[in-house]
Amino acid sequence: MIELFDVTKRFGSETAVDGISLRVERGEFCALVGTSGCGKSTTLRMINRLIEHSAGEIHLDGQPVRNFDEQTLRRRIGYVIQSTGLFPHWTVARNIGLVPRLLKWPRARIQARVEELMTLLGLPMESFADKYPHQLSGGQAQRVGVARALAADPEILLMDEPFGALDPITRDALQEELRDLQSRLHKTIVFVTHDMDEALRLADRLVVMDAGRIVQQGVPLDLVREPADAFVASLLGGDDRGFKEAALTRVGARMLPLSPRLIARARVHREASLRQALAVMFREHADRLTVVDDEDMPVGELSLRRLVGARPHE
Amino acid sequence: MSERALAFGLAAALRHWWLPLVWLGLLLLASLGMAELEAGFRWLEPDSREVIYRRTDFLTLLGRHLLVVGVASLLAGLAGVGAAVLVTRPFGRDFLPLVAQLASMGQTFPPVAVLALAVPVLGFGTLPIIVALVLYGLLPIVRNSLAGLQGIDPAVQEAARGMGMSKGQVLRQVELPLAAPVILAGVRTSVTINIATAALGATVGASNLGDPIISGIVNGNTAYIVQGALPIGLLALTADSAFERLLRHLR
Amino acid sequence: MRREVLRPNRVLPLLMLVALAAWLGLEAVSVAPNRIVPGSGFRAHEVVGWTGALAGCLPLLAVAALAWRPTTGRLRLVLALAVLLLMAMPAWLGLAVTRLVDPAQPQARLGLGGAFWVLLFLLLLALIELRARLRLPRLAGWGLLVPVLLAWWLALASWLEPLALLQEYRGRSDQFAAAVGYHLGLVGAAVGASLVIGVALALLMRRHAGLQKAGFGVLNFLQTIPSLALFGLLLAPLAWLAANVGWLAALGVRGIGWAPAFLALVGYSLLPMVRNTFVALEGVDPAVIESARGMGMSPRQVFLQVRLPLALPVMLEGLRITTVQAIGLTAVAALIGAGGLGGFIFQGLGQAAMDLVLLGALPILVMALVADALLGALTERLHPGGTR
Repeated sequence: MIELFDVTKRFGSETAVDGISLRVERGEFCALVGTSGCGKSTTLRMINRLIEHSAGEIHLDGQPVRNFDEQTLRRRIGYVIQSTGLFPHWTVARNIGLVPRLLKWPRARIQARVEELMTLLGLPMESFADKYPHQLSGGQAQRVGVARALAADPEILLMDEPFGALDPITRDALQEELRDLQSRLHKTIVFVTHDMDEALRLADRLVVMDAGRIVQQGVPLDLVREPADAFVASLLGGDDRGFKEAALTRVGARMLPLSPRLIARARVHREASLRQALAVMFREHADRLTVVDDEDMPVGELSLRRLVGARPHE
Repeated sequence: MSERALAFGLAAALRHWWLPLVWLGLLLLASLGMAELEAGFRWLEPDSREVIYRRTDFLTLLGRHLLVVGVASLLAGLAGVGAAVLVTRPFGRDFLPLVAQLASMGQTFPPVAVLALAVPVLGFGTLPIIVALVLYGLLPIVRNSLAGLQGIDPAVQEAARGMGMSKGQVLRQVELPLAAPVILAGVRTSVTINIATAALGATVGASNLGDPIISGIVNGNTAYIVQGALPIGLLALTADSAFERLLRHLR
Repeated sequence: MRREVLRPNRVLPLLMLVALAAWLGLEAVSVAPNRIVPGSGFRAHEVVGWTGALAGCLPLLAVAALAWRPTTGRLRLVLALAVLLLMAMPAWLGLAVTRLVDPAQPQARLGLGGAFWVLLFLLLLALIELRARLRLPRLAGWGLLVPVLLAWWLALASWLEPLALLQEYRGRSDQFAAAVGYHLGLVGAAVGASLVIGVALALLMRRHAGLQKAGFGVLNFLQTIPSLALFGLLLAPLAWLAANVGWLAALGVRGIGWAPAFLALVGYSLLPMVRNTFVALEGVDPAVIESARGMGMSPRQVFLQVRLPLALPVMLEGLRITTVQAIGLTAVAALIGAGGLGGFIFQGLGQAAMDLVLLGALPILVMALVADALLGALTERLHPGGTR
């Protein structure tokens, strides 16, 4: 659990972070979103004390971070940055084993852990272990970066725009993998990004920052439904905001029981988002879809009126 | 089996290091067998009574030359890298601009001038030469070490700190290994200059491979000059090609 | 206006403390009755008494104190103080002359001691540091030296007659002028020749890739061989040529003298020249070249209007390295009878006359610094908008 109480950071006469308070629960995925220069990276880096805060308190599991030795603190916290920061003179395996080695794990245990992580992140040991960072693609390098951060099995993971420099397809794939990983590992993650779609897709909770302050925070759906001000609304895509909301809601939540008379030809999975359902309607020129389960068995139906949430008799 | 492995290793080493070894072989041959070439030198210098430099053994001269260059380069290397490390730490940062300026400006000073200026201050002999060589040899090492240490990707340093490495660990495991090729290139420049400048040391009373040349110039004996110039040239080529190999090894 | 107080800076205070130690601990001047007898040294307090010596410490302490918590205003004051100190040094020497040198002994001479050199060096370092911190432009930095040089010139011309360096110069003012001219001539000729040959060679290498490896191999090889050895090794074949080829001998080619010096200088100069020209021409952003061609420029236009102007700063850098290197090497060439300022150095070393050594070494140092500064300034001007 990470807690920030009225934390401020000043660089000379500039105030980069201005009295923010924040609480990230154990196992929660929290995204800090905002335009560049809003203080989100500074906030992240104050948690592992790469930057020291000027005022306020930062607690880790109830203990002020200043009570920890800097290095001990950082070894307990995974850290991933956009440009990976892999050591160019070390092999992939050695890079991943960095923190365990700093913690003086026995060799065999490090070896086993590196192997485990490389398998977990889809980097086959035999083809990647002895490669050097410059021989990797951007996506592979960032996988190594994530593996390195996870190596000592830290409770907390700090990620600073980790997928910002990747092409859209690789980014999608890595986001998907991160979601998978998180559903298995349940780390406490603080994730900085300026990409709202990425934040909506990954986070349990959004924290929107502007000019060093928190403008709004909450579960993604709440923010999309009720943005606190014009700034948050524009970050959420302005008029396109409706699509974002649709993307956050599952078909299963809106479907009605199957009516016996009419079975629509067009189908959609119950776990798909409303946005995907809308796309199917558009493609099939249908205003009614049959909702199916994993075995492709019909379990309900979804009308256009129902999808957009219109009240009956209107 | 291990014998074969040894032979294999030797073969690999030979394949990598053949060029410096050839120069070294020629250097030793020239130092040991200069007298055998008397006939050739006689042809070059038919009028002189003596055509082989005999005041000191060539191997001794080579040894002295190596000693001066070696000691000076070692001291310059330690001091140069040390200085560069100090001024790139937070507590030494104040001194960075001055040291960087000095290292690049100092290289415009001709080595002869530095050597000549060292004499009034330090006197004649081997010690002033070593001091002058250390001072002058520092410059390329400091300059390259600074370039190497400052050229490291800031993301790598940030990651190293973020992973919880201590300052010493970052320096030893990340900064110095990454800067090593650039630093070594500086050491190479320094050694090359030192070999040449040490030869000039013969004019300020140090005895080394420059001796036969100066003596030849003074006595108008071309044979002496060649006998000094040949081993110095070979020594420079040996050192330079060895560094070249070492650098290739590091990259 | 808000007063800017920067954090404590230890550079200038440290320099000044070292200067203080040197001033009080080392010999400031030495006096000899004539050229042959070694002089006896005097510390500052032995010349002007403890009061005078300690009074001399005050400006140094002031610099240290002002620079400890620097504001722009204080740094300007420190700069003025440093320049004034440099200007005061010849005046102080004048004082030393009146106190120590007996006017009845025309042969008596005043030598400069360790404290003096250390102080000079540290004050120049302080100027460099201040120039960087006040972000003065290059020209203003050199402008600071004008009053200092004026003060020295005035002092040398009027009251520093017994200064040993000046006496050495008086003894050979004609030789000195000739040596400077000869030195510059040899450097100019060698650099000019290597510029022409080097650019031609670089252009050839761009055209014929096969030539690259061999060319750079030979030039690297040449650069590695120590100057003294190369001069020596050139001596024999040139002597042979002079003896056997009449017209070469008529040109003045001999085993010793300008011929081997010139050849060796050109040989050494070629590597930096060729390397920089080649790298500069190859290093132009391919996107720029591609767009130039895309706009319909002919290959000739691309080269003359795009590639060459963009490459010029790096080529000039090569010229700078070459020139500075040649100035130093020409001094070594004096050993094989090429003359120039190196002659004074080796003559001085031979006679153990240190002021004669200085007479040769100081101008060489100044030449190298001036050449470096001039060509550096030119390179800076050629970077449009400071970009590359």
